[in-house]
Amino acid sequence: MKISTFLENSQQSRIKKVLGKIGVAFFWVLLWALAARWVNSPLVLPSPLKTLEGVVTLAGDFEFFVSIGVTLLRVFGGVFISVALGLVLGLAGGLNKPFYEIMNPFVSTIKSLPVVSVIILINLWIASGLVPLVVTFLICFPVTWTNVVQGVRSTDKKLLQMAKIYNVEQSKIISDIYLPSVKPYAVSALMNAIGLGWKVTVTAEVLANALPSIGMNLYYAKIYLETDLLFSWTLIIVICSLVIEKITLYMIARNNRKGDGQCPLS
Amino acid sequence: MSVIISKLYKKYGDEIIFEDFNLVFEKNKISGILGPSGAGKTTLLNLCSGLEKPDSGTIEGINPQSISYIFQEPRLLPWRTVRENLRLLFKEKSIRKAGAHESDIDGMLKLVGLGSVGDLYPQELSGGMRQRVAIARAFLYPSELLLMDEPFSSLDYSLKNRLIEDFLKIWEQDKRTVIFVSHNEDEIRQLAQVIFTFSDKPVQILKKETL
Ligand SMILES: Nc1ncnc2c1ncn2[C@@H]1O[C@H](COP(=O)(O)OP(=O)(O)OP(=O)(O)O)[C@@H](O)[C@H]1O
Ligand SMILES: [Mg+2]
Repeated sequence: MKISTFLENSQQSRIKKVLGKIGVAFFWVLLWALAARWVNSPLVLPSPLKTLEGVVTLAGDFEFFVSIGVTLLRVFGGVFISVALGLVLGLAGGLNKPFYEIMNPFVSTIKSLPVVSVIILINLWIASGLVPLVVTFLICFPVTWTNVVQGVRSTDKKLLQMAKIYNVEQSKIISDIYLPSVKPYAVSALMNAIGLGWKVTVTAEVLANALPSIGMNLYYAKIYLETDLLFSWTLIIVICSLVIEKITLYMIARNNRKGDGQCPLS
Repeated sequence: MSVIISKLYKKYGDEIIFEDFNLVFEKNKISGILGPSGAGKTTLLNLCSGLEKPDSGTIEGINPQSISYIFQEPRLLPWRTVRENLRLLFKEKSIRKAGAHESDIDGMLKLVGLGSVGDLYPQELSGGMRQRVAIARAFLYPSELLLMDEPFSSLDYSLKNRLIEDFLKIWEQDKRTVIFVSHNEDEIRQLAQVIFTFSDKPVQILKKETL
Protein backbone atom coordinates (compact mmCIF):
# COMPACT_ATOMS: atom_id res chain seq x y z
CA MET A 1 0.00 0.00 0.00
CA LYS A 2 2.69 2.41 1.10
CA ILE A 3 4.94 1.40 -1.74
CA SER A 4 2.25 1.96 -4.34
CA THR A 5 1.52 5.46 -3.06
CA PHE A 6 5.22 6.14 -3.08
CA LEU A 7 5.42 5.04 -6.70
CA GLU A 8 2.39 7.14 -7.59
CA ASN A 9 3.99 10.10 -5.91
CA SER A 10 7.26 9.72 -7.74
CA GLN A 11 5.35 9.31 -10.98
CA GLN A 12 3.36 12.43 -10.23
CA SER A 13 6.47 14.42 -9.51
CA ARG A 14 7.96 13.20 -12.79
CA ILE A 15 4.91 14.32 -14.67
CA LYS A 16 5.11 17.66 -12.93
CA LYS A 17 8.75 18.01 -13.95
CA VAL A 18 7.99 17.22 -17.59
CA LEU A 19 5.05 19.63 -17.59
CA GLY A 20 7.31 22.29 -16.13
CA LYS A 21 9.86 21.76 -18.89
CA ILE A 22 7.18 21.93 -21.56
CA GLY A 23 5.96 25.15 -19.97
CA VAL A 24 9.41 26.70 -20.13
CA ALA A 25 9.88 25.62 -23.75
CA PHE A 26 6.47 27.04 -24.59
CA PHE A 27 7.43 30.35 -23.03
CA TRP A 28 10.55 30.71 -25.18
CA VAL A 29 8.79 29.66 -28.37
CA LEU A 30 6.10 32.19 -27.61
CA LEU A 31 8.74 34.87 -27.13
CA TRP A 32 10.29 33.88 -30.47
CA ALA A 33 6.87 34.04 -32.17
CA LEU A 34 6.22 37.50 -30.71
CA ALA A 35 9.65 38.72 -31.80
CA ALA A 36 9.06 37.37 -35.32
CA ARG A 37 5.73 39.15 -35.49
CA TRP A 38 7.32 42.38 -34.25
CA VAL A 39 10.22 42.16 -36.74
CA ASN A 40 7.65 41.22 -39.36
CA SER A 41 10.14 40.03 -41.96
CA PRO A 42 10.67 36.29 -42.53
CA LEU A 43 13.95 37.17 -44.22
CA VAL A 44 15.36 38.44 -40.92
CA LEU A 45 13.52 36.31 -38.40
CA PRO A 46 11.12 33.59 -39.54
CA SER A 47 8.38 32.55 -37.13
CA PRO A 48 8.40 29.18 -35.33
CA LEU A 49 5.56 28.01 -37.54
CA LYS A 50 7.41 28.94 -40.72
CA THR A 51 10.53 27.16 -39.40
CA LEU A 52 8.49 24.02 -38.74
CA GLU A 53 6.91 24.24 -42.18
CA GLY A 54 10.41 24.40 -43.57
CA VAL A 55 11.33 21.18 -41.78
CA VAL A 56 8.27 19.45 -43.24
CA THR A 57 9.08 20.67 -46.76
CA LEU A 58 12.70 19.54 -46.40
CA ALA A 59 11.61 16.13 -45.14
CA GLY A 60 9.74 15.58 -48.40
CA ASP A 61 13.06 15.25 -50.18
CA PHE A 62 15.15 12.09 -49.95
CA GLU A 63 18.35 14.14 -50.01
CA PHE A 64 17.36 15.60 -46.67
CA PHE A 65 17.86 12.24 -45.00
CA VAL A 66 21.06 11.58 -46.90
CA SER A 67 22.51 14.88 -45.64
CA ILE A 68 21.54 14.16 -42.05
CA GLY A 69 22.75 10.56 -42.30
CA VAL A 70 26.16 11.48 -43.70
CA THR A 71 26.68 14.27 -41.17
CA LEU A 72 25.69 11.89 -38.36
CA LEU A 73 28.21 9.37 -39.65
CA ARG A 74 30.92 12.02 -39.57
CA VAL A 75 30.05 13.05 -36.01
CA PHE A 76 29.89 9.45 -34.77
CA GLY A 77 32.97 8.40 -36.67
CA GLY A 78 34.99 11.30 -35.31
CA VAL A 79 33.72 10.91 -31.76
CA PHE A 80 34.06 7.14 -31.75
CA ILE A 81 37.65 7.15 -33.02
CA SER A 82 38.54 9.95 -30.56
CA VAL A 83 37.11 8.14 -27.56
CA ALA A 84 38.45 4.71 -28.51
CA LEU A 85 41.96 6.00 -29.22
CA GLY A 86 41.77 8.42 -26.30
CA LEU A 87 41.00 5.55 -23.97
CA VAL A 88 43.80 3.29 -25.19
CA LEU A 89 46.46 6.00 -25.56
CA GLY A 90 45.26 7.73 -22.39
CA LEU A 91 45.74 4.52 -20.40
CA ALA A 92 49.19 4.19 -21.94
CA GLY A 93 49.98 7.84 -21.17
CA GLY A 94 48.78 7.54 -17.60
CA LEU A 95 50.75 4.37 -16.95
CA ASN A 96 53.91 5.18 -18.87
CA LYS A 97 55.75 8.43 -18.22
CA PRO A 98 57.93 8.46 -21.38
CA PHE A 99 54.87 7.84 -23.53
CA TYR A 100 53.12 10.73 -21.79
CA GLU A 101 56.11 12.99 -22.47
CA ILE A 102 55.97 12.08 -26.17
CA MET A 103 52.21 12.57 -26.51
CA ASN A 104 51.79 15.67 -24.40
CA PRO A 105 53.37 18.28 -26.73
CA PHE A 106 51.37 16.89 -29.67
CA VAL A 107 48.10 17.07 -27.72
CA SER A 108 48.78 20.51 -26.26
CA THR A 109 49.71 21.87 -29.69
CA ILE A 110 46.46 20.68 -31.28
CA LYS A 111 44.53 22.03 -28.31
CA SER A 112 45.98 25.49 -28.77
CA LEU A 113 45.27 25.70 -32.52
CA PRO A 114 42.17 27.65 -33.60
CA VAL A 115 39.56 25.26 -34.99
CA VAL A 116 39.30 27.26 -38.21
CA SER A 117 43.02 26.92 -38.93
CA VAL A 118 42.82 23.19 -38.38
CA ILE A 119 39.90 22.89 -40.78
CA ILE A 120 41.52 24.92 -43.55
CA LEU A 121 44.88 23.18 -43.16
CA ILE A 122 43.38 19.71 -43.20
CA ASN A 123 41.35 20.67 -46.25
CA LEU A 124 44.63 21.33 -48.09
CA TRP A 125 45.66 17.74 -47.59
CA ILE A 126 42.61 15.53 -47.82
CA ALA A 127 39.27 15.16 -49.62
CA SER A 128 36.50 17.52 -48.55
CA GLY A 129 34.09 14.80 -47.43
CA LEU A 130 36.58 13.47 -44.91
CA VAL A 131 37.72 16.82 -43.53
CA PRO A 132 34.91 17.14 -40.94
CA LEU A 133 35.60 13.66 -39.57
CA VAL A 134 39.33 14.24 -39.29
CA VAL A 135 38.86 17.66 -37.73
CA THR A 136 36.32 16.28 -35.26
CA PHE A 137 38.89 13.68 -34.29
CA LEU A 138 41.63 16.29 -33.92
CA ILE A 139 39.43 18.43 -31.68
CA CYS A 140 37.87 15.64 -29.58
CA PHE A 141 40.85 13.35 -29.14
CA PRO A 142 42.95 15.73 -26.97
CA VAL A 143 40.01 16.24 -24.61
CA THR A 144 39.53 12.50 -24.21
CA TRP A 145 43.20 11.74 -23.89
CA THR A 146 43.76 14.38 -21.22
CA ASN A 147 40.72 13.20 -19.26
CA VAL A 148 41.75 9.56 -19.36
CA VAL A 149 45.31 10.34 -18.29
CA GLN A 150 43.86 12.27 -15.36
CA GLY A 151 41.61 9.32 -14.53
CA VAL A 152 44.56 6.93 -14.48
CA ARG A 153 46.54 9.26 -12.25
CA SER A 154 43.67 9.66 -9.81
CA THR A 155 43.40 5.90 -9.35
CA ASP A 156 43.60 5.08 -5.66
CA LYS A 157 47.20 4.19 -4.78
CA LYS A 158 45.99 2.12 -1.86
CA LEU A 159 44.05 -0.22 -4.13
CA LEU A 160 47.10 -0.54 -6.38
CA GLN A 161 49.29 -1.43 -3.38
CA MET A 162 46.73 -4.04 -2.35
CA ALA A 163 46.83 -5.52 -5.86
CA LYS A 164 50.61 -5.63 -5.75
CA ILE A 165 50.71 -7.42 -2.42
CA TYR A 166 48.22 -10.06 -3.58
CA ASN A 167 49.92 -10.49 -6.97
CA VAL A 168 46.82 -9.58 -8.94
CA GLU A 169 47.33 -10.21 -12.65
CA GLN A 170 48.30 -7.17 -14.72
CA SER A 171 45.29 -7.57 -17.02
CA LYS A 172 42.98 -7.57 -14.01
CA ILE A 173 44.68 -4.52 -12.52
CA ILE A 174 43.77 -2.73 -15.74
CA SER A 175 40.24 -4.10 -16.11
CA ASP A 176 39.23 -4.12 -12.45
CA ILE A 177 41.09 -1.14 -10.98
CA TYR A 178 42.21 1.32 -13.66
CA LEU A 179 39.23 1.09 -16.01
CA PRO A 180 36.55 1.56 -13.31
CA SER A 181 38.54 4.50 -11.93
CA VAL A 182 38.85 6.02 -15.39
CA LYS A 183 35.19 5.45 -16.24
CA PRO A 184 33.74 8.70 -14.82
CA TYR A 185 36.50 10.65 -16.58
CA ALA A 186 35.90 8.79 -19.85
CA VAL A 187 32.14 9.35 -19.62
CA SER A 188 32.54 13.07 -19.14
CA ALA A 189 35.02 13.10 -22.04
CA LEU A 190 32.51 11.26 -24.21
CA MET A 191 29.72 13.73 -23.41
CA ASN A 192 32.11 16.58 -24.11
CA ALA A 193 33.23 15.01 -27.37
CA ILE A 194 29.65 14.55 -28.56
CA GLY A 195 28.78 18.18 -27.80
CA LEU A 196 31.96 19.46 -29.43
CA GLY A 197 31.75 16.97 -32.28
CA TRP A 198 28.49 18.38 -33.59
CA LYS A 199 29.65 21.93 -33.69
CA VAL A 200 33.02 21.10 -35.19
CA THR A 201 31.62 18.74 -37.81
CA VAL A 202 29.01 21.19 -39.10
CA THR A 203 31.52 24.05 -39.13
CA ALA A 204 34.04 21.95 -41.01
CA GLU A 205 31.38 20.88 -43.50
CA VAL A 206 30.75 24.50 -44.38
CA LEU A 207 34.40 25.53 -44.59
CA ALA A 208 35.48 22.46 -46.53
CA ASN A 209 32.41 22.34 -48.82
CA ALA A 210 31.78 18.76 -47.78
CA LEU A 211 28.87 17.16 -49.61
CA PRO A 212 26.35 15.82 -48.82
CA SER A 213 26.05 17.47 -45.44
CA ILE A 214 23.89 19.45 -43.06
CA GLY A 215 26.54 22.15 -43.07
CA MET A 216 26.32 22.82 -46.80
CA ASN A 217 22.52 22.91 -46.61
CA LEU A 218 22.89 25.61 -43.98
CA TYR A 219 25.32 27.45 -46.18
CA TYR A 220 23.11 27.28 -49.29
CA ALA A 221 20.11 28.46 -47.28
CA LYS A 222 22.18 31.47 -46.29
CA ILE A 223 23.45 32.41 -49.76
CA TYR A 224 20.00 31.99 -51.33
CA LEU A 225 18.56 34.12 -48.52
CA GLU A 226 16.23 31.32 -47.42
CA THR A 227 16.30 32.38 -43.81
CA ASP A 228 13.39 30.11 -42.88
CA LEU A 229 15.34 27.05 -44.14
CA LEU A 230 18.40 28.26 -42.26
CA PHE A 231 16.29 28.16 -39.14
CA SER A 232 14.82 24.78 -40.09
CA TRP A 233 18.26 23.23 -40.48
CA THR A 234 19.42 24.74 -37.23
CA LEU A 235 16.36 23.29 -35.51
CA ILE A 236 17.23 19.90 -36.97
CA ILE A 237 20.79 20.13 -35.64
CA VAL A 238 19.54 21.02 -32.19
CA ILE A 239 17.03 18.16 -32.16
CA CYS A 240 19.59 15.64 -33.42
CA SER A 241 22.17 16.63 -30.85
CA LEU A 242 19.59 16.51 -28.04
CA VAL A 243 18.41 13.06 -29.09
CA ILE A 244 21.95 11.74 -29.35
CA GLU A 245 22.86 13.16 -25.96
CA LYS A 246 19.83 11.52 -24.35
CA ILE A 247 20.48 8.18 -26.01
CA THR A 248 24.11 8.27 -24.88
CA LEU A 249 23.15 9.13 -21.31
CA TYR A 250 20.58 6.33 -21.33
CA MET A 251 23.13 3.77 -22.56
CA ILE A 252 25.64 4.87 -19.94
CA ALA A 253 23.06 4.62 -17.16
CA ARG A 254 22.06 1.15 -18.34
CA ASN A 255 25.64 -0.08 -18.20
CA ASN A 256 26.42 1.36 -14.80
CA ARG A 257 27.33 -0.96 -11.98
CA LYS A 258 26.53 -0.33 -8.39
CA GLY A 259 29.89 0.86 -7.13
CA ASP A 260 30.85 2.79 -10.25
CA GLY A 261 32.59 6.08 -9.69
CA GLN A 262 32.63 5.56 -5.94
CA CYS A 263 35.58 6.43 -3.83
CA PRO A 264 37.03 3.41 -2.06
CA LEU A 265 35.52 3.04 1.36
CA SER A 266 37.68 3.19 4.40
CA MET B 1 61.66 -19.19 8.21
CA SER B 2 61.62 -16.40 10.76
CA VAL B 3 61.74 -12.79 9.64
CA ILE B 4 65.14 -11.35 10.45
CA ILE B 5 65.68 -7.60 10.29
CA SER B 6 69.28 -6.48 10.57
CA LYS B 7 70.96 -3.08 10.57
CA LEU B 8 67.85 -1.50 9.10
CA TYR B 9 68.14 2.17 8.18
CA LYS B 10 65.23 4.23 6.85
CA LYS B 11 64.52 7.93 6.75
CA TYR B 12 61.95 10.22 5.19
CA GLY B 13 63.55 13.58 4.39
CA ASP B 14 65.45 14.58 7.50
CA GLU B 15 63.37 12.33 9.69
CA ILE B 16 65.16 9.14 10.74
CA ILE B 17 62.65 6.37 11.39
CA PHE B 18 64.98 3.39 11.75
CA GLU B 19 68.66 3.51 12.56
CA ASP B 20 70.70 0.34 13.06
CA PHE B 21 67.50 -1.48 13.87
CA ASN B 22 67.50 -5.23 14.57
CA LEU B 23 64.56 -7.52 15.25
CA VAL B 24 63.47 -11.14 14.74
CA PHE B 25 59.87 -12.20 14.24
CA GLU B 26 59.49 -15.90 14.97
CA LYS B 27 58.06 -18.30 12.44
CA ASN B 28 54.40 -19.29 12.79
CA LYS B 29 53.85 -17.07 15.80
CA ILE B 30 51.77 -13.95 16.26
CA SER B 31 54.12 -11.06 17.09
CA GLY B 32 52.53 -7.89 18.37
CA ILE B 33 53.93 -4.38 18.01
CA LEU B 34 52.86 -1.62 20.36
CA GLY B 35 54.09 1.92 19.96
CA PRO B 36 53.24 5.60 19.87
CA SER B 37 51.61 7.22 16.88
CA GLY B 38 54.06 8.22 14.17
CA ALA B 39 56.81 5.96 15.51
CA GLY B 40 57.21 3.93 12.34
CA LYS B 41 55.03 0.84 12.80
CA THR B 42 53.29 1.12 9.43
CA THR B 43 56.64 1.95 7.86
CA LEU B 44 58.04 -1.31 9.23
CA LEU B 45 55.16 -3.31 7.73
CA ASN B 46 55.59 -1.51 4.41
CA LEU B 47 59.31 -2.34 4.47
CA CYS B 48 58.55 -6.00 5.24
CA SER B 49 55.99 -6.17 2.45
CA GLY B 50 58.28 -4.55 -0.11
CA LEU B 51 55.97 -1.56 -0.65
CA GLU B 52 58.84 0.57 0.71
CA LYS B 53 62.56 -0.01 0.27
CA PRO B 54 65.07 0.34 3.13
CA ASP B 55 67.86 2.90 2.70
CA SER B 56 70.21 0.23 3.94
CA GLY B 57 70.17 -2.99 5.94
CA THR B 58 68.38 -6.24 5.23
CA ILE B 59 65.11 -7.98 5.90
CA GLU B 60 65.49 -11.71 5.42
CA GLY B 61 63.08 -14.61 5.43
CA ILE B 62 60.33 -13.03 3.39
CA ASN B 63 59.09 -14.34 0.08
CA PRO B 64 57.54 -11.29 -1.60
CA GLN B 65 55.13 -13.52 -3.52
CA SER B 66 53.79 -14.91 -0.30
CA ILE B 67 52.53 -12.06 1.86
CA SER B 68 49.04 -11.19 3.04
CA TYR B 69 48.51 -7.67 4.32
CA ILE B 70 45.47 -6.47 6.23
CA PHE B 71 45.71 -2.72 5.90
CA GLN B 72 44.35 -0.15 8.28
CA GLU B 73 41.42 0.22 5.83
CA PRO B 74 39.68 -2.71 4.08
CA ARG B 75 40.89 -1.65 0.60
CA LEU B 76 38.10 -3.38 -1.33
CA LEU B 77 37.18 -2.43 -4.88
CA PRO B 78 33.91 -0.51 -4.51
CA TRP B 79 32.76 -1.47 -8.01
CA ARG B 80 33.09 -5.21 -7.47
CA THR B 81 31.05 -7.52 -5.27
CA VAL B 82 32.58 -9.22 -2.24
CA ARG B 83 32.97 -12.42 -4.24
CA GLU B 84 34.58 -10.62 -7.19
CA ASN B 85 36.93 -8.87 -4.79
CA LEU B 86 38.11 -12.24 -3.51
CA ARG B 87 38.26 -13.72 -7.00
CA LEU B 88 40.96 -11.15 -7.85
CA LEU B 89 43.44 -13.34 -5.97
CA PHE B 90 43.18 -16.16 -8.48
CA LYS B 91 44.68 -16.30 -11.92
CA GLU B 92 42.18 -16.01 -14.76
CA LYS B 93 43.21 -19.33 -16.33
CA SER B 94 42.85 -21.36 -13.19
CA ILE B 95 39.43 -19.86 -12.49
CA ARG B 96 38.16 -21.17 -15.82
CA LYS B 97 39.61 -24.62 -15.30
CA ALA B 98 38.26 -25.41 -11.91
CA GLY B 99 35.36 -24.09 -9.89
CA ALA B 100 37.34 -25.11 -6.82
CA HIS B 101 38.13 -21.47 -5.98
CA GLU B 102 34.46 -20.70 -5.65
CA SER B 103 34.08 -23.24 -2.89
CA ASP B 104 37.25 -21.89 -1.25
CA ILE B 105 35.73 -18.42 -1.34
CA ASP B 106 32.41 -19.64 0.06
CA GLY B 107 34.17 -21.57 2.80
CA MET B 108 36.30 -18.61 3.82
CA LEU B 109 33.31 -16.24 3.82
CA LYS B 110 31.48 -18.65 6.12
CA LEU B 111 34.50 -18.84 8.37
CA VAL B 112 34.45 -15.06 8.92
CA GLY B 113 30.69 -15.15 9.41
CA LEU B 114 29.77 -13.64 6.07
CA GLY B 115 28.13 -16.66 4.44
CA SER B 116 25.40 -14.73 2.68
CA VAL B 117 26.99 -11.49 1.48
CA GLY B 118 29.08 -12.73 -1.45
CA ASP B 119 27.00 -10.92 -4.02
CA LEU B 120 26.76 -7.60 -2.18
CA TYR B 121 28.93 -4.57 -2.91
CA PRO B 122 31.27 -3.21 -0.22
CA GLN B 123 29.15 -0.11 0.37
CA GLU B 124 26.23 -2.38 1.25
CA LEU B 125 28.21 -3.79 4.18
CA SER B 126 28.96 -2.32 7.59
CA GLY B 127 32.51 -1.26 8.46
CA GLY B 128 33.03 -4.41 10.50
CA MET B 129 31.82 -6.64 7.70
CA ARG B 130 34.19 -4.97 5.24
CA GLN B 131 37.08 -5.53 7.60
CA ARG B 132 36.09 -9.20 7.79
CA VAL B 133 36.19 -9.43 4.01
CA ALA B 134 39.74 -8.05 4.21
CA ILE B 135 40.56 -10.75 6.78
CA ALA B 136 38.99 -13.40 4.52
CA ARG B 137 41.12 -12.11 1.64
CA ALA B 138 44.28 -12.33 3.73
CA PHE B 139 43.64 -15.93 4.69
CA LEU B 140 42.37 -16.98 1.28
CA TYR B 141 45.66 -15.91 -0.20
CA PRO B 142 48.22 -18.67 0.34
CA SER B 143 50.92 -16.77 2.22
CA GLU B 144 53.59 -17.56 4.75
CA LEU B 145 53.52 -14.10 6.30
CA LEU B 146 50.52 -12.08 7.45
CA LEU B 147 50.91 -8.37 8.19
CA MET B 148 48.14 -6.59 10.09
CA ASP B 149 48.03 -2.83 10.61
CA GLU B 150 45.51 -1.97 13.31
CA PRO B 151 42.79 -3.96 11.58
CA PHE B 152 40.36 -3.59 14.46
CA SER B 153 40.90 0.04 15.36
CA SER B 154 37.77 1.41 13.70
CA LEU B 155 35.43 -1.13 15.26
CA ASP B 156 33.37 -1.01 18.43
CA TYR B 157 34.30 -3.07 21.46
CA SER B 158 32.02 -6.11 21.11
CA LEU B 159 32.55 -6.43 17.38
CA LYS B 160 36.29 -6.18 17.92
CA ASN B 161 36.23 -9.00 20.46
CA ARG B 162 34.20 -11.20 18.17
CA LEU B 163 36.56 -10.55 15.27
CA ILE B 164 39.59 -11.32 17.42
CA GLU B 165 38.02 -14.64 18.41
CA ASP B 166 37.23 -15.39 14.78
CA PHE B 167 40.74 -14.46 13.84
CA LEU B 168 42.29 -16.81 16.40
CA LYS B 169 39.99 -19.59 15.26
CA ILE B 170 41.13 -19.22 11.66
CA TRP B 171 44.75 -18.85 12.66
CA GLU B 172 44.62 -22.08 14.70
CA GLN B 173 43.57 -23.91 11.54
CA ASP B 174 46.15 -22.21 9.36
CA LYS B 175 49.15 -21.07 11.38
CA ARG B 176 51.17 -18.40 9.65
CA THR B 177 53.80 -15.95 10.78
CA VAL B 178 51.83 -12.90 11.86
CA ILE B 179 53.03 -9.37 12.57
CA PHE B 180 50.26 -7.44 14.26
CA VAL B 181 50.46 -3.69 14.88
CA SER B 182 48.18 -1.95 17.35
CA HIS B 183 47.76 1.03 19.63
CA ASN B 184 45.63 -1.00 21.94
CA GLU B 185 47.35 -3.04 24.63
CA ASP B 186 44.31 -5.21 25.48
CA GLU B 187 43.91 -6.17 21.87
CA ILE B 188 47.57 -7.13 21.57
CA ARG B 189 47.46 -9.20 24.76
CA GLN B 190 44.45 -11.11 23.45
CA LEU B 191 46.17 -11.97 20.20
CA ALA B 192 49.92 -11.96 20.35
CA GLN B 193 52.40 -14.48 21.72
CA VAL B 194 55.34 -12.09 21.63
CA ILE B 195 54.96 -8.37 22.20
CA PHE B 196 57.44 -5.68 21.16
CA THR B 197 57.02 -2.20 22.56
CA PHE B 198 58.49 0.49 20.28
CA SER B 199 59.78 3.91 21.30
CA ASP B 200 59.16 7.02 19.25
CA LYS B 201 61.40 7.51 16.20
CA PRO B 202 64.17 6.62 15.66
CA VAL B 203 62.63 3.36 16.82
CA GLN B 204 64.12 1.48 19.78
CA ILE B 205 62.68 -1.70 21.21
CA LEU B 206 61.79 -0.69 24.77
CA LYS B 207 60.51 -4.08 25.82
CA LYS B 208 60.14 -7.63 24.50
CA GLU B 209 57.59 -9.78 26.26
CA THR B 210 56.81 -13.45 25.63
CA LEU B 211 53.38 -14.60 26.78
N1 LIG C 1 55.66 8.14 2.53
C1 LIG C 1 56.11 8.94 3.52
N2 LIG C 1 56.75 10.09 3.22
C2 LIG C 1 57.23 10.89 4.19
N3 LIG C 1 57.12 10.63 5.50
C3 LIG C 1 56.51 9.50 5.86
C4 LIG C 1 55.95 8.59 4.88
N4 LIG C 1 55.40 7.56 5.56
C5 LIG C 1 55.58 7.80 6.86
N5 LIG C 1 56.23 8.97 7.08
C6 LIG C 1 56.63 9.51 8.37
O1 LIG C 1 57.27 8.48 9.08
C7 LIG C 1 56.87 8.48 10.41
C8 LIG C 1 56.35 7.13 10.79
O2 LIG C 1 55.14 6.90 10.10
P1 LIG C 1 54.29 5.57 10.29
O3 LIG C 1 53.10 5.69 9.42
O4 LIG C 1 55.16 4.40 10.09
O5 LIG C 1 53.87 5.67 11.82
P2 LIG C 1 52.96 4.68 12.68
O6 LIG C 1 53.81 4.17 13.77
O7 LIG C 1 52.33 3.69 11.78
O8 LIG C 1 51.90 5.69 13.25
P3 LIG C 1 50.33 5.46 13.55
O9 LIG C 1 50.27 4.67 14.79
O10 LIG C 1 49.80 6.82 13.71
O11 LIG C 1 49.77 4.74 12.36
C9 LIG C 1 55.86 9.60 10.58
O12 LIG C 1 56.52 10.71 11.15
C10 LIG C 1 55.42 9.90 9.17
O13 LIG C 1 55.16 11.27 9.05
MG1 LIG D 1 50.31 3.37 11.10
